[in-house]
Amino acid sequence: MEPVVLDSGTAFLRAGFASPDQDPSIVLPTAMTRVEEDGANGNSEAMADVIHPIERGMIKDWDAMEDLWRYVFYTNLGWEPGNEGQLLVAEPLLTPKVSRERMVQTMFETFNVNGLYAMEQAVLSLYSVGRITGVSIDVGHGKIDIAPVWEGAIQHNAVKRFEIAGQDLTDLFAKELAKSHPHVKLDLATVEMLKEKYATVSEDSTAYAATAEACPKIEHTLPDGQVISIGRERYTVGEALLRPSTLGVEEDGLAEQLLRSVSMCYPSENQRQLIENIVLCGGTSAMAGLDARFQKEAVLVANPSVRPSLIKPPEYMPDNTLNNSAWMGGAILAKVVFPQNQHITKAEYDEAGPPIVHRKCF
Amino acid sequence: MYGGDEVSAIVLDLGSQSCKAGYAGEDQPKSVFPSVVGSVESGGVVPDGGGDTDMEAAKPGEAEKAKARKLYAGVQALGYRRDHMEVVPAMKDGLVADWDVVESLWDHALRDRLLIDPKEHPMLLAEPSFNTQQHREKMVELMFEKYDVPALFLAKNAVLTSFASGRATSLVVDCGGGSTTVAAVHDGYVLQKAVVRSAIGGEVLTDCLQRTLEAKGIQIKPRFSFKRKEIRPGEFEVVPVELPNTTDSYYAYAQRAVVADIKESVCRVPDSAFDDNSYANIPTTPYELPDGQVIEIGADRFKIADIMFNPTLIQTIPGMEKYGTEAGVPFNGLPQMVIESINKCDPDIRRELFNSVMLAGGTAALQQMKERLEKDLMEEAPQAARVKVLASGNALERRFSVWIGGSILASLGSFQQMWFSKAEYEEHGPTYVQRKCP
Repeated sequence: MEPVVLDSGTAFLRAGFASPDQDPSIVLPTAMTRVEEDGANGNSEAMADVIHPIERGMIKDWDAMEDLWRYVFYTNLGWEPGNEGQLLVAEPLLTPKVSRERMVQTMFETFNVNGLYAMEQAVLSLYSVGRITGVSIDVGHGKIDIAPVWEGAIQHNAVKRFEIAGQDLTDLFAKELAKSHPHVKLDLATVEMLKEKYATVSEDSTAYAATAEACPKIEHTLPDGQVISIGRERYTVGEALLRPSTLGVEEDGLAEQLLRSVSMCYPSENQRQLIENIVLCGGTSAMAGLDARFQKEAVLVANPSVRPSLIKPPEYMPDNTLNNSAWMGGAILAKVVFPQNQHITKAEYDEAGPPIVHRKCF
Repeated sequence: MYGGDEVSAIVLDLGSQSCKAGYAGEDQPKSVFPSVVGSVESGGVVPDGGGDTDMEAAKPGEAEKAKARKLYAGVQALGYRRDHMEVVPAMKDGLVADWDVVESLWDHALRDRLLIDPKEHPMLLAEPSFNTQQHREKMVELMFEKYDVPALFLAKNAVLTSFASGRATSLVVDCGGGSTTVAAVHDGYVLQKAVVRSAIGGEVLTDCLQRTLEAKGIQIKPRFSFKRKEIRPGEFEVVPVELPNTTDSYYAYAQRAVVADIKESVCRVPDSAFDDNSYANIPTTPYELPDGQVIEIGADRFKIADIMFNPTLIQTIPGMEKYGTEAGVPFNGLPQMVIESINKCDPDIRRELFNSVMLAGGTAALQQMKERLEKDLMEEAPQAARVKVLASGNALERRFSVWIGGSILASLGSFQQMWFSKAEYEEHGPTYVQRKCP
């Protein structure tokens, strides 16, 4: 049985057996509703009590998460109790030691996995495009992580986590649409869908300023029949990533943050190689125009002799690699780690306890 | 007595230049950031009204109400240029000057970077080798009262550096950012009478380099003061950005950051004492500034680094002629400081100290520093002594040797009984620290 790769994100949970050139077989929204009688999981969001066990990338509700994992492992992937397989878990950056140990404990004691390995999502994203050195920018739903990785080791000191991401852009879009269409009631799920369809990043800041005057409007028919026209709002949402002051956050934009993060890497000779190998991944990175604009901004902000460049996934990887890059990288890593027995086995866990994860997986 | 379980301790090292924090048992601190904060005086309402805000802030009881300033700690928060943001350092002359700043630095390290709850981790704090009793008590109080830590320990920098190399006796030469300290450690204790300090550290070197470059007409522009525009594909133009509300201290801070990078990449310690004539024809090294200017640095690379060995060179730098002429701070080069410190120790241990001179600190990562120090010491030391200078080969380890020593100490099994626990603090008060952490 192949090892299972599990990447639990704020919006979506990706899981599947490790096969590097395929998409994860299971992509579920990380959301559940509470049912009183017996703990059945549903994925409908129409009801009032929706629980999101993962907030901003970190697991907050462990019981709910356990239920979700149980559903994924036993119902979806087809594990049988008593015959569980091996597991590779993708973790967010800056996970506190305590959370890590708790996850390991849950996996070994509640789910009885056979072997476990944990690795940060940033490194896995780099693996998915075939590199071990570079900067991985994971633009997710709950957080943006910027992590320089040098030869497989994350430079922890230089890591930056932004607590604004996909869900904040959705909120911003909803606000903007409410301003221009005060009579239309839009729920968040619809706004989310509209954002994914229409949000665009302008070519550069002058083009964005130009949209204030003239902007092509797009007509969209909502499910209930109403027609709304979306104009400048779509560009505002895109611009917010590069200039968070729009979202009311006092921080520099993505390009400056990247540069500052890299400049904290030591020794400084490495910095050039890091900037020239950037992976922009994560769900929100699929926004139209983000690649080109980000590269442009990075060139303006960096030293003149350095050419920041984004890495494109190799041709043999599936098309939406960058969306699921952490999972794909995990699949690649699983093929290396488990056959070579570098993972934590049940026997080792029984002997050393949860802290073994810090010694074996880094 | 605090019996440490499996919970790992946190090691905090607050220096004049940078603050290092991380888990014990690891080989590098997870979080390193400058020991300064950005402070914005918010136009807060003063409830008592009238009068000078500064006057009211002076009264201890009123301090909370009148002083409404927001502190920004950490590289990311500090890097974002805000209007009216002043840069406030935590330490002055090697000792803590502003406790609010220290608090916000620790908050940033523990809550934002390490993401831990201080209540659950014992803390090992590194303190300067010449720390005063008052400072120690205040630090202990802050930790126990505000952060509610279960246990803590204060260890002197020199002792931790010694441990990092696995020795209980050595002469530690700590070339830090704010100052240089030479201390003799014997059997794990600092010999207080043999501590020699000098105000010349990394920051002074950066200052000198900055003035030297400015005297040559090179303008150092901090990153936020210009923008690059693409006028034609592939060609860029630098446009200055008008930001009138930037404070002077912030501007200077950003400039210094650029110059510090130049210093770290380019400076080298010369093999023998620097003099203008022999280095007049040295080939220059290029360095690219953030705005695209390429500057050539020649003899100055060696001159700046040689200041550590010959501080009188500072007076030849334009703008710094008066440096050190005020009385008080000693003005010796490194080798003289080492000899002075050793001479203040008992004659019996001098040989062992000469044999194990440990180089540590950020400024010690300058190239060729170890070789030059060894050579100079061999010339100045008495004939019978065998001089050996030890320094870690890895520049990162030299920079973090105090932290690494702390990490080693806090993870030793035999150390676990030495923690100063909260129960003991509550029973005996902060003065008990003298007994528990000698």
